[in-house]
Amino acid sequence: MKFLSSHQSGFISFFNEIGDMGNFTGRYFRELFSKPFEFREFLNQCYQMGNKSLLLVGVTGFILGLVFTLQSRPTLMEFGAVSWMPSMISISIVREIGPVIIALICAGRIGSSIGAELGSMKVTEQIDAMEVSGTNPFKYLVVTRILAATCMLPLLVIIGDFVALVGSAIIENAKGDVSFTLYFNQVFEALEFTDLIPATLKTFFFGFAIGLVGCFKGYNSNKGTAGVGKASNSAVVFTSMLLFVLDFIAVFITDIFYS
Amino acid sequence: MKNQPVIEIKNLYKSFGQTRVLNDFNLTLFKGENLVLMGKSGSGKSVLIKCLVGLMDFDKGSIKVLGKDISNIKQSELDELRTDIGFLFQGSALYDSMTVRENLEFPLRRHQNDSESKTKARVEEALENVGLPQTIDLMPAELSGGMQRRIALARALILKPKIIIYDEPTTGLDPITAKEIILLMMNIQKKYATSSLIITHDVDCARVISNRMILLLDGKDYIQGTFNELALSEDPKIKAFFK
Amino acid sequence: MKSNSGNNLKLGLLIMVGLIIFTLGVYFIGKKQNLFGDSITISSVFKNVNGLQPGNNVRYSGVNVGTVKEIKFLNDTAICVNMLISQESGNLIKYSSVATINSDGLVGSMVLNILPTDKFPSRRLKEGDTLYSLSQVATTDMLNTLNKTNENAALLTEDLIKITNSINAGEGVLGKLLKDETLAKNIQESAANLNFTTRSAKSGLTKLNDLLNSVDYENSIVGLLLSDSTAQENLKTTIQDLQASSSQINKLSANLEEFSNSLNSEKGALNLVVKDTTFVNHLDQSIRNIEEATHRFNENMEALKHNILFRGYFRKLERKKARQENGNK
Repeated sequence: MKFLSSHQSGFISFFNEIGDMGNFTGRYFRELFSKPFEFREFLNQCYQMGNKSLLLVGVTGFILGLVFTLQSRPTLMEFGAVSWMPSMISISIVREIGPVIIALICAGRIGSSIGAELGSMKVTEQIDAMEVSGTNPFKYLVVTRILAATCMLPLLVIIGDFVALVGSAIIENAKGDVSFTLYFNQVFEALEFTDLIPATLKTFFFGFAIGLVGCFKGYNSNKGTAGVGKASNSAVVFTSMLLFVLDFIAVFITDIFYS
Repeated sequence: MKNQPVIEIKNLYKSFGQTRVLNDFNLTLFKGENLVLMGKSGSGKSVLIKCLVGLMDFDKGSIKVLGKDISNIKQSELDELRTDIGFLFQGSALYDSMTVRENLEFPLRRHQNDSESKTKARVEEALENVGLPQTIDLMPAELSGGMQRRIALARALILKPKIIIYDEPTTGLDPITAKEIILLMMNIQKKYATSSLIITHDVDCARVISNRMILLLDGKDYIQGTFNELALSEDPKIKAFFK
Repeated sequence: MKSNSGNNLKLGLLIMVGLIIFTLGVYFIGKKQNLFGDSITISSVFKNVNGLQPGNNVRYSGVNVGTVKEIKFLNDTAICVNMLISQESGNLIKYSSVATINSDGLVGSMVLNILPTDKFPSRRLKEGDTLYSLSQVATTDMLNTLNKTNENAALLTEDLIKITNSINAGEGVLGKLLKDETLAKNIQESAANLNFTTRSAKSGLTKLNDLLNSVDYENSIVGLLLSDSTAQENLKTTIQDLQASSSQINKLSANLEEFSNSLNSEKGALNLVVKDTTFVNHLDQSIRNIEEATHRFNENMEALKHNILFRGYFRKLERKKARQENGNK
């Protein structure tokens, strides 16, 4: 009975949280389209999320390209299909691996930092201080962060994809004597708009999810420093899970429309 | 001078679940007055001031700030009204992602359309007032607790508010620093002729700064009077505060 | 504020880099699909498009010139393939060119190839033209055929191995022909015999002719006999038959000679008689028959000399001969 009731309360709190998040999302859209817009803070957040994550995304993307190519080469060689390398790598990176891996990296980097920052602001009354000073903290802190994440993630993914392809091209160049020109010719030969556009569109949703969950967890964190840690941790965990769900939905929709 | 009220709280009720925190509470703050609100921890002082600035909704009663009923105004009006209220938080609540300069600029940029040079001048002036001009480019984490409190005071004052609310201004500070803060508060009061509502349980602070005192007990304004009147009271409940 | 504007500059750079990469990506993909620049739409009608899809490449003489725009059914057997090709290549391609659908490598996607034909002089392509199409076997069909061919080739080689083995072992006509020296000798001998027989048959017949010419039809028995029309007829037929058989033998010997020649030259229609042992037997039999026939013919001729009808003639001949000899003396 106790077991059941603990599960029941778990369910209830889960659905409560979903409901709260729904309200939070609704408030985001209301505040997004009402004046004033905190443009300076938005730019600042874009810089914090974009430029400060660039190195991480670049290194991850580069290694991703290298490793992916190195790992796939032997298998393709077995089939005598090494010349398909650029097509295979580019399609898998642009369609799936690039967006998902980079979004996960950003969930760790951006989501956790948003969660921790807003959590500690909440705990140390900074959010109250902001409200008291006549600034809408939701607009200033939440709207700008979610919007910045939504806008910056596609850029990071595009750059990360490109760097990954460069990494892959370097391996192909070194191991398979494929020139960069030939490599990228084959890449663009293989890629279609149906690969690039849906993959880019879904990264906006990924960015939105990262910003939304990070802000939600941070903005609603409990009192105390433990609350900050919890907010940042659960932001990453929940965002990562949400990213896969969103990816599944995106792939499903793409599949319906393009096949 | 004392006949013009800036804050009027009448019959305020607020409860959390079954716990009634404020129970028919009344308070009036007059212009240019330093009113000290004393009470035990958890007696509802912080709840009261949060209700006062609209951070928290209350159940019943009315709060009028500068003649405006805060439970009955638009968000934009409330934001406008808030620029006339300075708030010094218990934990300073400086934005720790910003430098001291940015902390002070923050309210200025949102509420005044000053030129860059004028903004800069006002920030420097505010820092001069609290005696910390050298900290302008430091981050809050690099400052001591007392310095943080002073920077927070400078930030609360930068829009030249008509009312300043101090939430435990000396809590967590050593007696010397606490005294410095109290002196600073008095200087500012003289300089800008603000009305102050000070929430504290520091008797020394209350004695130095108060024109009038209110004791918050059981959610009610248990007694009002000058420091001396209260300190000399024979009521055991009041006596407990002044031991 | 300085740091802030510096940050904005860096942010601006980041956004520019991202957008440039994205735009280049879109441009190169779009360029491949002829979205940018002038292009013309042409079409071709096929019975089977073999899995061609919109977006597949269109090639002219192996160079990518455009992409397949859409594929639609015209009716239950005709499928119209619309393709976008660049204006530039449209100016090169002739209207008489032929469109085919092939696979790009064994496992590759489908490609629409436009092949130039030199047969007719014609104008350049223009918007809305429909090219002739040529249906080609799909890879699967090709593979199926190839498979069948392979199986057949395997069977053939197996049989060939058997044949060569048996030839080597000296079985069958060919084996005997190649290996058996006695047979070859026999054939040679038979041919020589035939030659001899025909020659003697010829001389025999000439003599018979002379003899008949010199027969005294009215006085001699022979004449009487010969003037008897029935006997005469009989004799005539015999002689005609003999003549015919001699010419046939002649022919046969010529054929045999030819045959042995072709055997010697290792050419000709030998494969026709591969493994036919009955033929060998027949040939053996025939040769034996011919030998017997010639033998019997010789016997007949000898018998004719001793025949009561011809004995006088032969004596007369002998006498004549003796007289001539005496006269000469």
